[in-house]
Amino acid sequence: MNRKNKTHQDPPGWAERLLARITAPHIREEILGDLYELFQKRGQRYGYTKARLLYVLEMLLLLHPRLWRKQAKSAYLYTKPSDYSPPNPMAMLGNYVKIASRKLNRHKSYTVINVVSLSLGIACTILIFTLVKYHLSFDSFHANKDRIYRIYTELHTEKVTYSTGVPNPMGEAFRSGYSVADEVGRIAFFKKRVVAVSPEKKFEEDIAFADPDFLRIFNFPLIQGNPQMSLQERNTALITDRIAKKYFGTQDPIGKLLRVDSSLSVRITGILQNLPPNTDFHTEIYIPFSNLQEHSPWIVEKDWWLGFNKEMQCFIRLKPGISAATVDSRILTAITNKYYDKEMAKQFQFKLQPLSDVHFNPKLRGYTEKKNLWTFALIGFFLVVTACVNFINLATAQALGRSREIGVRKALGSQRGAIFWQFITETALIAGSALLIAFGLAYVALPFVNQWFDIELSLNPLTDTYLLAFLLFLLLVVIFCSGAYPGLILARFQPVLALKGKLSQQAVGSFSLRKGLVVTQFAISQLLIIGTLIITNQLRYSQQADMGFRKDAIVILPVPDNKKSKINTLGTQLSEMSGVENVTFFDTPPATEFLGSTSFRFDSRPKAEAFNISIKSADHQYIPTFKIPILAGRNLNPSDTIREYLLNETAVKSLGLASLQDVVGKSATINGRSGTIVGVIKDFHFKSFRVAIEPLCLTTWGEVYNSCGVKVNPANLGPTLSAFEKAWKAMYPSSIFTYRFLDEDIERFYKLDNMLLQLIQAFAAIAIFVGCLGLYGLVSFMAAQKTKEIGVRKVLGASAASILWLFGKEFFRLLLVAFMLAAPLAWWIMDKWLNNFVYRVELGAGIFILAILITLIVALLTVGFRSVKAALMNPIKTLRTE
Amino acid sequence: MKGTQLGEFEEIVLLTIALRYDDAYSVVVVENLSQRLERPISLGAVHRTMQRLEEKGLVISRFGEATPERGGRRKRLFTVTLAGEQSLREARHIRNELWEGIPKNAFDHLT
Repeated sequence: MNRKNKTHQDPPGWAERLLARITAPHIREEILGDLYELFQKRGQRYGYTKARLLYVLEMLLLLHPRLWRKQAKSAYLYTKPSDYSPPNPMAMLGNYVKIASRKLNRHKSYTVINVVSLSLGIACTILIFTLVKYHLSFDSFHANKDRIYRIYTELHTEKVTYSTGVPNPMGEAFRSGYSVADEVGRIAFFKKRVVAVSPEKKFEEDIAFADPDFLRIFNFPLIQGNPQMSLQERNTALITDRIAKKYFGTQDPIGKLLRVDSSLSVRITGILQNLPPNTDFHTEIYIPFSNLQEHSPWIVEKDWWLGFNKEMQCFIRLKPGISAATVDSRILTAITNKYYDKEMAKQFQFKLQPLSDVHFNPKLRGYTEKKNLWTFALIGFFLVVTACVNFINLATAQALGRSREIGVRKALGSQRGAIFWQFITETALIAGSALLIAFGLAYVALPFVNQWFDIELSLNPLTDTYLLAFLLFLLLVVIFCSGAYPGLILARFQPVLALKGKLSQQAVGSFSLRKGLVVTQFAISQLLIIGTLIITNQLRYSQQADMGFRKDAIVILPVPDNKKSKINTLGTQLSEMSGVENVTFFDTPPATEFLGSTSFRFDSRPKAEAFNISIKSADHQYIPTFKIPILAGRNLNPSDTIREYLLNETAVKSLGLASLQDVVGKSATINGRSGTIVGVIKDFHFKSFRVAIEPLCLTTWGEVYNSCGVKVNPANLGPTLSAFEKAWKAMYPSSIFTYRFLDEDIERFYKLDNMLLQLIQAFAAIAIFVGCLGLYGLVSFMAAQKTKEIGVRKVLGASAASILWLFGKEFFRLLLVAFMLAAPLAWWIMDKWLNNFVYRVELGAGIFILAILITLIVALLTVGFRSVKAALMNPIKTLRTE
Repeated sequence: MKGTQLGEFEEIVLLTIALRYDDAYSVVVVENLSQRLERPISLGAVHRTMQRLEEKGLVISRFGEATPERGGRRKRLFTVTLAGEQSLREARHIRNELWEGIPKNAFDHLT
């Protein structure tokens, strides 16, 4: 056939060749023939272009396992169906299990290594799974959860800040002006308020003032009381069952009175079902929103659009079919334009945050980020992979030793499938027992994890179908991941060679595959080691670095009532006690997580500065108590109103002034109140190390003091604290005494990081341990195989050291390769993590060197132990075998 | 066992093979079915079904002549076996029984 012809009247050559390649030989001819015939017929009917297209289409539709399956069980061709009974795979199962258990029993160390490493890996994975599932389940139990949103505020000043709160008229404006939502629920949260059952029985509790809609938006069902009336009537309250039990024991709580913050009396009209652990709404006492005015007039005193509090929130449930995007772009923009003048409308932007985002958005006070969860999931995956790698390594290494067995089986008529399934059974036995042990381990470890994270996880595969499904899935994955490859290798053995014992190492899988696996294992361990080292370094740096103020042995007491007379008396009483150095009253300690900022006009400049400035209000004792150095000017004079300002260095620099002295004596208008700048203080970290130091001013303002800081002598802490309690209680009899230490407070900034660190440390240790187990197994196997070689070498005069090197050099090389892979990856990941911090440690070579040294030492110990044994063996013994 | 259980598609393929006695091969079946069912039938589907029928022992196959319109390749010709006939009859029997069992006025409400 000439070429021209071929292009015109023949099917596409590539498709034909492709088909010829993939089709099983016994059907190749007819398939190609059929297609050719169809092509010719179609070509004549519809033209060759279309026929060619149909040819390719037919080819794609043909792709099916039947196409490449080798000769079907042709027995059917020659026998009647009734005569033929295919082997029942289940019938052999009993035998497989018997053989497998004998085998595992005989190679005890092999079994133990596999079971231990698998169960450690799986146990971690189970825990990680529960943890991830728990966090993903947050607030997922609400009906119509996809339609629930929180309105939040974006404040666009020179940078964008986010707040969960909205101005207090927002709820009403949204409800009355627009009809996109079914329900609009305003809610104001208050942390740690005093709730009194009787003058003697007081508790510290979180409370919330909420619209009746709130309980219709969220699934917090009433178990007692009238749902129609809940949160409608003033001076009522809903409490959870737990609180009811705690306050009233077995008594009927309905109708009982509670006194909140000694300002508000409420009658209990309903009992809520206890809150599930997986919700971000922890409040257990709800009071109607209409009561908010009496409790905290400052939060609602005016319909004030310019200020908002992060705890004053607004939840809505959109009507079905309305998208959040339209609400964002149309309605919330309309609200902004309606209630703000042009200038302010640019600053205030409101958006909707879906309920599913509430737990995961750190910008809006979410608990954690989803990427942290995925990191854990990845670590869990790594751990299982390492364990499977061990298994594959050991099994393929062992395969050679089993070649005789396989040979005999094959000679007796075992088919490939049978041998494969026998091996899978063996793996299943190991994996199954590992899973059981792992579950036990996870069960034992769970309380510790719960304590660590302060959560309530549970492990019950009988009620938790997800967990059950996950366990089964994990089991299958482990069985097939680790069993399939060695199984296939074993099944492929040529019986004759296997029986003769002539299988070479190559037959059990190229050694390079096993090398690759060992490299993977080492790389994972090193990744985790480097991560652990860097996180440790950064956290130590954050927690121990000089924040610019004194933070040790400073006790912080709350001040529930800041009337001048009370503060003065308390201050005097405290400072007269022995062991007390300084007493200061302020609104926030030097380092806080959240601190707002406000506008700033300097001296006689006509316009406000482009940057905002944060305010800390404190009395004149603040500077000496926290030992903040004054660089220019003097400390604040005692006063109760805003008269004088102290600026920090950054503020002075932001003003564009060269000398610190230049600001002293000038006037400043901050947040609308003017005063004189009397001095400049040295920069200190008033937020966490994640953010840069910003402009700050310090001023006296008695109205807002809510805490008292006392520098104490740590030597005699116990008596000092009880003396504090006595004085404090005399002053505030209706409140509950609490205290905290400043340094603990600062540590809390890094709480999540610390937990992350501890977990990663644990995982790294397990990964290394599992890796070592595998290494140990592999080396023992190599040693067993090389007994004769070692014997011969020794007889010929090799030293023990050279024999050690025989083992060592291989592993040393693999370790280096693993390091080459792990180091850049670790550098990249950790650099990203460190970018969260403005003040961070640098990634030096030291950490990487340390990491490789650690792995080297661990690997050397593992390999060394076994190889020394091999090297010291008496050659006469080893050579005499057989 | 899968034995004589016939799927619907298997049944019509088997019937077509019986219909084209001694000249039944995949292309013929594809063309016949495409015409009758008035929808395109892929060769793959027919081919797989015929293989399955053969494995079930309902048809038997042999190679035919090589012809130029097939690019010099042989075709595989299928013949219905005794078992094949039996299962066809059984299928028909079941259908007939069902038809006869339908009450006279069963479709009255449709008009």
